[in-house]
Amino acid sequence: MAKYNLMVNNTPYTVEVSPDTPLLWVLRDHLNLLGTKFGCGIGQCGACTIHLDGTPTKSCLLTVSLAEGKSITTIEGLSEDGSHPVQEAWKEIDVPQCGYCQAGQIMTASAFLIKNPNPSREEIREAMHENICRCASYNRIEVAVEKAAKKLS
Amino acid sequence: MKNIDSYGHLRGESLFVDDIITRHDTLFGLVFDSPKAHGKIISVDYTKAEAVKGVIKIFTHKDILGENQIGGIIQDEPLFAENEVHFWGQPIAFIVAESEFIAKKARALINIEIDELPIITTAKEAKEKGSFINPPRSFKSGNTQNSFAECDYVYEGETFSNGQEHLYLETQGSYAVPMENGNIKITSSTQGPTIVQKTVAKVLGVNMHKIEVDVIRLGGAFGGKEDQATAWAVMTALAVQQLKKPVKYILNRHDDLRMTGKRHPYESTFKIGLTKDLKIQAFEVEFLQNSGAAADLSPAIAERTLFHATNSYFIPNVMSTVYSCKTNLPPNTAFRGFGGPQGMFVIESAIAKAANEIGVNKRLIQEANLIAENDEFYYGQIATQVEAQKSWLATKEEFNLKRLEKEVKTFNKENLQFKKGISLMPIAFGISFTNTPMNHARALIHIYQDGSVGVSTGAVEMGQSVNTKMLQVAYNTLGISPLKVKLETTNTTRVANTSPTAASATADLNGKAVLQACNSLIERLKSVACKMLSVTESEIIFKEDQVFVNNKKSDLLWEEVVTQAMLERVALSENAHYATPVIHFDKTKEKGHPFAYHVYGTAITTVTVDCLRGIYEIDAVKITHDFGKSMNLGIDVGQVEGALAQGIGWMTMEEIVYGKNGQLLSNSLSSYKVPDIFSVANKVDIIPLETQGNDMAILKSKAVGEPPLMYGIGTYFAIQDAVAAFNPNYKPKFHSPFTPEKVLISLYEK
Repeated sequence: MAKYNLMVNNTPYTVEVSPDTPLLWVLRDHLNLLGTKFGCGIGQCGACTIHLDGTPTKSCLLTVSLAEGKSITTIEGLSEDGSHPVQEAWKEIDVPQCGYCQAGQIMTASAFLIKNPNPSREEIREAMHENICRCASYNRIEVAVEKAAKKLS
Repeated sequence: MKNIDSYGHLRGESLFVDDIITRHDTLFGLVFDSPKAHGKIISVDYTKAEAVKGVIKIFTHKDILGENQIGGIIQDEPLFAENEVHFWGQPIAFIVAESEFIAKKARALINIEIDELPIITTAKEAKEKGSFINPPRSFKSGNTQNSFAECDYVYEGETFSNGQEHLYLETQGSYAVPMENGNIKITSSTQGPTIVQKTVAKVLGVNMHKIEVDVIRLGGAFGGKEDQATAWAVMTALAVQQLKKPVKYILNRHDDLRMTGKRHPYESTFKIGLTKDLKIQAFEVEFLQNSGAAADLSPAIAERTLFHATNSYFIPNVMSTVYSCKTNLPPNTAFRGFGGPQGMFVIESAIAKAANEIGVNKRLIQEANLIAENDEFYYGQIATQVEAQKSWLATKEEFNLKRLEKEVKTFNKENLQFKKGISLMPIAFGISFTNTPMNHARALIHIYQDGSVGVSTGAVEMGQSVNTKMLQVAYNTLGISPLKVKLETTNTTRVANTSPTAASATADLNGKAVLQACNSLIERLKSVACKMLSVTESEIIFKEDQVFVNNKKSDLLWEEVVTQAMLERVALSENAHYATPVIHFDKTKEKGHPFAYHVYGTAITTVTVDCLRGIYEIDAVKITHDFGKSMNLGIDVGQVEGALAQGIGWMTMEEIVYGKNGQLLSNSLSSYKVPDIFSVANKVDIIPLETQGNDMAILKSKAVGEPPLMYGIGTYFAIQDAVAAFNPNYKPKFHSPFTPEKVLISLYEK
């Protein structure tokens, strides 16, 4: 057990956990930030995606010790009222079905669009392909990312 | 109307089982399961595991006060193995500890000794050895033997379709909490709250009313949580019964993959007979269903396979048989389509085989045999409001099939390394539980005294947006704003004896109950409003949160009528029961009218195969789909897109592999690939077929959950078409999934 100072959604937190605890479980079990989901635990599904200093990162593979000193953003911190352009686009296209993977999808998309504000379809697929949606809302994800890009520009 | 859950989903606020508030003294469970596929348990030593600090208790079959039995259709599945294990991953014990981490540590310290017995992993082997779940079933029409003798063409062949892992992103899970007087409340990620309640009561040896099951929503299910969410809920409840503390168990992904069943693999043989004009006269098929080690839902799934053995074709002479073969795999279970896809794959394969042998385009045989109005499905139901030919023709015309075929031809002439393929895939899918007694539902509606409304049904929200549809039915019928209506969780204390959310029928069954309940409430409120306005009932309707008299807005508000009704002591709650009329099926004759209606549609699939690498892309899938009069096209089209992708995954990339020892080898997301954003078709066009809808469907809006999955079968045959364009020596085989590896072998077979 050790103490870690984390900056999550611009709020400082101190948690006392084992150094190899995945950030996902710190977020969910210690900080009650439940929007980030567990899907596979091996970084293959993307349901646990958060931003680490702006980069989309799978929090199931990231130990808490590596997250210290970095800026962490979760779905709860993306916007106060669901008004982030990616969320707005998601709403307009009505992307989610069961919803379980959607926070991860949105976190990946929102980080991607900052780096690439005018992506092609191929680039969208390249950016989003590590986020699995078993309901297969992929066609809508593509359209929603395009729409969000327009809103951001 | 958009999905009412969207806002919560995209802010990460929607609650799943693992997100609900837990009591501070909650304990955590973990299953210890069999490390062998078949054998006698010689000994299990828990002493080291029990000694781990923080382990509270390890439950085995000896701790069960009721019955150690969770089998549904057939009582053949113990909750915990007793003397023998029958599949790799079969639960043996349930470790309860202060944390999941401690439970894991303890699990590694359990020593088990198993005297291994011979195992069976394939259906064929099971049949040879006479290992079955139940006796085989056969459906029959006409006389195939006589008919084959008169056919110009007769071909035989065999097919294999592999299983499919559900891979709901939210793994299985349950949270059970002790209430007063020995009652237990369970929050479960289940499609079947009543199945959980009933099974918990049986295993715990208590009455059903002691057990409350609540379902908020599921993070995907696809059939995998119809029967197989039950065991975990029972285990948590068992621990609560004895420890009197809350117990939570959320499966980790590897445990979930290893211990749960999947879509059934099928090995099948067929014989098809046609006349010169390409009319299919006779069809015989034998399905070997790999059921796994216990019945689970296998007999019902086998039944639906028989119902869909002829897909959307009329064939006068049919003989079909299905064997549910008992093997040493985890019990296979429901998966979107419920045996229908496996049946349809065989008839499509038989047609492809015949086309190849005769030397005609497959679609000519398909087109010549589409079922028409008043034809009889071979199980006795007369086909009415048939859209098979209409959807076929609409697809051909709307998407200009001739041009598409020409483009493929031209492309293939001009390219050597890349070849395109094209296929058509019609579907006809019967809507209703094939087990007639299950076709019922109830709704409980409360109008609160401020005019807001709460709707409870037996429907479980799992991404199909059934709650949105229920809300639409309620607010439209009551004539109030959607903001006034709330969909409650699915809870066995509010709506009892529910059928599972399955068979695509949930919106129909529960929606009709909501409609009835709302109509009764409106009748009562009308009589109140009439008195308030001194008009007759026939003159008024509720609309836009107000009372309209002779289609003119009055000053009377919905809330005012509700308040007056309260003062007059009029009941503002209503419970309605709906049971599908007309349907029946006689299992002694295997004839009847099992379905409320059928859903039809046709898809054109085009693919491009890289003939150097064996990889392929799906260029486009163009569909004309029979939604009836869709009550929510946005949601329904989403269901088609998603089901299509799952069907394509099943047919192309999702490859379940078991070792010879019965161990699941495709046991993680790194070794089992489901469609990602690259795998879906580059273009999906979906056109709603213009139809009258069907009165048996809720608001004439037809069921949509399962039928479109079977459009994915078209991808198999489109790839086959491309392979044949490259390799003239290719002999079509029907062995799905058509992985790039198999494509490559096919491209260069001699």
